[in-house]
Amino acid sequence: MPIRVHDVVNHDASLVSRKAWSDPHLYELEKRGIFGHAWLFLAHTSQLPNLGDFVQAYMCETPIIVTHGNDGNIHALINSCSHRGLPVCRADRGNAKSFVCPYHNWNYSVEGSLQAIPQEQHLEGRTDRSLLGLKRVPRVEQWNGMIFGSFDEEIEPLDDYLGDMRWYLDAFFGRFPKGIEFIGSPQRWVIDANWKLPVENQLGDVNHGPFLHAAVIPPEANAEVFELGRSVVTAPGHGATFRLMPEGAPLEQVAWGFEGMASLLAPEVHDYLREVQARAIESVGPLRSRMKGLTYGVFPNLSFLWSNTAFKVSHPRGPGKVEYWSWSVVPADAPDAFKRILRGNHTAFFGPGGILEQEDSEAWTQQRIGSEIDFADDRPYYYGLGLNEEKPDPELPGLVGVTANEFYARNFFLRWRDALAAVEDEA
Amino acid sequence: MSTTLASPERQYEIEQWYYREARMLDGRQYQSWLALCHPEIRYVIPGRGNPQVPNRERGKEDMISIERELEGVDSDGLPIRDETMAYLMLRVERSFKANAWSENPPARTRRIVGNIEILGEDDAGALSVWSAFHLHYARPGSASFLYAGQRRDVLAPGEQAGAYLLKNREVILDMAEVAYPTLGLFL
Ligand code: FES
Ligand SMILES: [Fe+2]
Repeated sequence: MPIRVHDVVNHDASLVSRKAWSDPHLYELEKRGIFGHAWLFLAHTSQLPNLGDFVQAYMCETPIIVTHGNDGNIHALINSCSHRGLPVCRADRGNAKSFVCPYHNWNYSVEGSLQAIPQEQHLEGRTDRSLLGLKRVPRVEQWNGMIFGSFDEEIEPLDDYLGDMRWYLDAFFGRFPKGIEFIGSPQRWVIDANWKLPVENQLGDVNHGPFLHAAVIPPEANAEVFELGRSVVTAPGHGATFRLMPEGAPLEQVAWGFEGMASLLAPEVHDYLREVQARAIESVGPLRSRMKGLTYGVFPNLSFLWSNTAFKVSHPRGPGKVEYWSWSVVPADAPDAFKRILRGNHTAFFGPGGILEQEDSEAWTQQRIGSEIDFADDRPYYYGLGLNEEKPDPELPGLVGVTANEFYARNFFLRWRDALAAVEDEA
Repeated sequence: MSTTLASPERQYEIEQWYYREARMLDGRQYQSWLALCHPEIRYVIPGRGNPQVPNRERGKEDMISIERELEGVDSDGLPIRDETMAYLMLRVERSFKANAWSENPPARTRRIVGNIEILGEDDAGALSVWSAFHLHYARPGSASFLYAGQRRDVLAPGEQAGAYLLKNREVILDMAEVAYPTLGLFL
């Protein structure tokens, strides 16, 4: 008998079974119930400035090519030939006139239509090519340059799906007159861990910082998180954490980038970042100008690490493996030299060799070990910290709590449970 | 950079430098290793991507050059590491704390450094030295891993005669995907 979803997460999600992190049947339900019905992050328009530009992406385990078509539109195509299924694109990113399959050279346009079947010149019949283009991701929408795709044709518009997360994301994007830009390729690394743990970590678990990262994060930085930290859930599965700095706090204390070492090294970057913060009251308003971000999550697997400016996607590779992608993000209007310095704020601390993140990879790998042991199924993981202590706030959209409150994770698992339950009895 | 063949003495001296460095790193003597680094060191591990193969370059070696795959410091891409002395000091400091969990217990590493080639010397006497390494990594509770790669170094003359300091290191990792437990090692 496969495990039932309602036995995995209890009524208020204060208890979550170890099986949620390791069971192959639940993983199959996740693929259909969550990844089949969500908006999944694909790419940013700054990666695709020219016609014919493409980048690779994943939707769960399905390989996707995101292209800037000659029609000017963004397309998301499954990277698999209609003839025998080979990937038609092997490069991570680039600019293409067409995609040619290696096996028999079927030729696809960057918009995904099948343009040529070379074998036909030796045959009498003609194949209806209109049905044999690369399979399209049926829904592709953008918000502020962020491109998302969904396999669910009926899914609500992206704007509604993101809801109040837009307000929180704009607290960062809106600070920069030309918005933000993704640089290069993402860092990609494979971790022996379940995909949900990196997600949970960024969704609201800032309270592992003072403990797991005590070797690197100074106590003052942690004190600021404890005292001024807020955790917000705008809708189950979406969350934001940040410090709400006191009114009149010095610019350097609020400005993004001043926590990283990179900014310590270049005075002109200091000036630039201080300038950005000085304009923040106008650009994002008085309340949001006081926000000094930590981490965000958008259901199911997109994260934004404001403090070190990275967007991350946790791509499942089975119940016990994840391919984690992490893009450096910089202000689009910053001079190139500054962009490279700010990039270091991400690469030195995060990524597979990051001074901080190597500890996270370690913790996530160790959690998998705990999730696969025998004789402990009667001891689900405890998610009850701060139960029902979160409240609506007069100023901030969503439910708000202190950062030690695990309501962000309970809400994630309530949504997770319902999404899986909705498909568990499908044939 | 001049490119005359290094003398046997010079070659010997430089090889000894690399063996000493490897012994320190595998012996977890990171503080001693830091003393081999120049205060203005640049330590870089470029990202390694899968770019389009340019058909226009077909027939030429450049078509499939390693350089095309690298996202280094001067690229518009994303290096895996891009560090100065301050970052290396932070890493070394961290290594000697019990709560540096990804190294508690510490990994057991052993590296073989070979193909040490002195490619040139600039006017200030700094040597450009390329070498190759294999590093075996084992950590209690984890699988074993083989790291393979190339180092592209600049060794600057130190204060004492015959001493060299590591001024520049670019580590080209030969990996298809990053499936290592960490790239935070001193490679
Ligand atoms: S498999 Fe793609 S052309 Fe035959
Ligand atoms: Fe962390």
